[in-house]
Amino acid sequence: MKFIKNHLMFIFPLMAILLGIEFYLVFDRTTDSYEKGLKEGYSMLVVTKKPMELSALKALNKHISTSEKIKRENIVSEIAKGVSKSSSKEILAALPYFYNVGLDSYLHTSGLEKIKMDLEADTNIKKVETFGSSYSSAYRLFSFIKFTLKLFIVFMGVVSLFLIIKQMEIWKYAHKQRMQVMEIFGAPLMLRSGVLFKVATIDAFIATILTSAIFLYVKFQWAANSGIDIMVQNQEELFRLTDMAILLGSALLLVIIAVYSVVFTSKGVQE
Amino acid sequence: MSNVISASHLTLAYDNGAKEIIKDASFSIKKGEFVFITGPSGSGKSTLLKALYGQLKPSEGNLVVGGLDLATARQSKLQELRTHMGIIFQDYKLVNEWTVAKNVVLPLMIAGYSVDVQNTQAHRLLKHVKLAEHADKYPLELSGGEQQRVGVARALAKNPVVILADEPTGNLDDYSSNVIWDLMENACQQLETTVLVVTHKIPTIFSLPYRHLIIESKGVYEVH
Repeated sequence: MKFIKNHLMFIFPLMAILLGIEFYLVFDRTTDSYEKGLKEGYSMLVVTKKPMELSALKALNKHISTSEKIKRENIVSEIAKGVSKSSSKEILAALPYFYNVGLDSYLHTSGLEKIKMDLEADTNIKKVETFGSSYSSAYRLFSFIKFTLKLFIVFMGVVSLFLIIKQMEIWKYAHKQRMQVMEIFGAPLMLRSGVLFKVATIDAFIATILTSAIFLYVKFQWAANSGIDIMVQNQEELFRLTDMAILLGSALLLVIIAVYSVVFTSKGVQE
Repeated sequence: MSNVISASHLTLAYDNGAKEIIKDASFSIKKGEFVFITGPSGSGKSTLLKALYGQLKPSEGNLVVGGLDLATARQSKLQELRTHMGIIFQDYKLVNEWTVAKNVVLPLMIAGYSVDVQNTQAHRLLKHVKLAEHADKYPLELSGGEQQRVGVARALAKNPVVILADEPTGNLDDYSSNVIWDLMENACQQLETTVLVVTHKIPTIFSLPYRHLIIESKGVYEVH
């Protein structure tokens, strides 16, 4: 019972840290694709006096990635219904050129203002409409959710670290006598810390497997049946095989740090 | 005979040299000698022993053990030196979660001997210290005297060049004390092991010729 308790007292905080890491990875990937969707769905309207190529727009600001010319004939046909053909031609000649301009990333509203200023500095550009207010509210909500979740992950990580430090104190108490006696008789570091490494490495594997199992369940059971659009659409992003390697690597790194801290603070003969 | 231990103008101190325990001491000990180190409480007997197994670096002077200058030796060299030493403590320093047999063969385990050799040696050593029937017990199941005999068996496990013993019979009854003195005398006589024993009192029944060093007023002196 005590043996299981000792293992669980290391496995649980380790799992909490691994869950935090995996949450971060999943959240980063899902928000990336969500961000991509927002970015692709967004474009600003640029009105120019003369036709303007994409390269010319790109030269004004590096965030501009696409430009789509809006057919002026369509505008004329919309606004000049019932007008004679010659008048339509005159309207068309007087009409400026319209472009839907896309960006390379999802920017803060201040970034949009900067693009607007850069574009309006060109004498050929008559008007730039960024649709800033609707963009801004979506951006703020998105940023807030992102920040809150990251804060939660950091908090979870800090609390778990404290629990691991507590467990290290217990390890130190449990293994100090053996390690000190072995040190007196000339045992090298690896031999002295062997038992502790073995125990901690097993715990690292168990924590990784359990964390992976939770996310595999979320991916194949919960997300698939949840009916939540963002979950269903991003099901593939929820857990990848490479995540398991990242989790195991992180767990082993924590184990190495924890074990060596215990070994180095247990040096010297107890009087 | 060659010196196994030699100290020259040795100063041992704690707190980065602020608290001097032994100052400007010079002495040497030859292979196969049995040496008692006595002195009042707090005179620095255990501190000297600590320095001899490399747990405390000399503040000044030289301390050479088995050809290794302990003032400048690297940790790996100190580790290697300790594998040629048998160290006995007043509080035994046995690993309580290991069986008696496993405690005894610790030096062999560190040296990388096979499990078969370890088992054979454990049986031989425990028979030697009259504890063969306790091989599978744990240290806390034994009396103080028995635990110290396990400690002596462990110290003898790898036929060490030097045995360092810190008050080995301090807490023991006469029977256990006599068994321990016999074991150390035998090691010195038959294996030419150098034995240094820190003690308050030299045992009255002691058949071997021995040297007596006394630590007083921070100095180490020979008693003739």
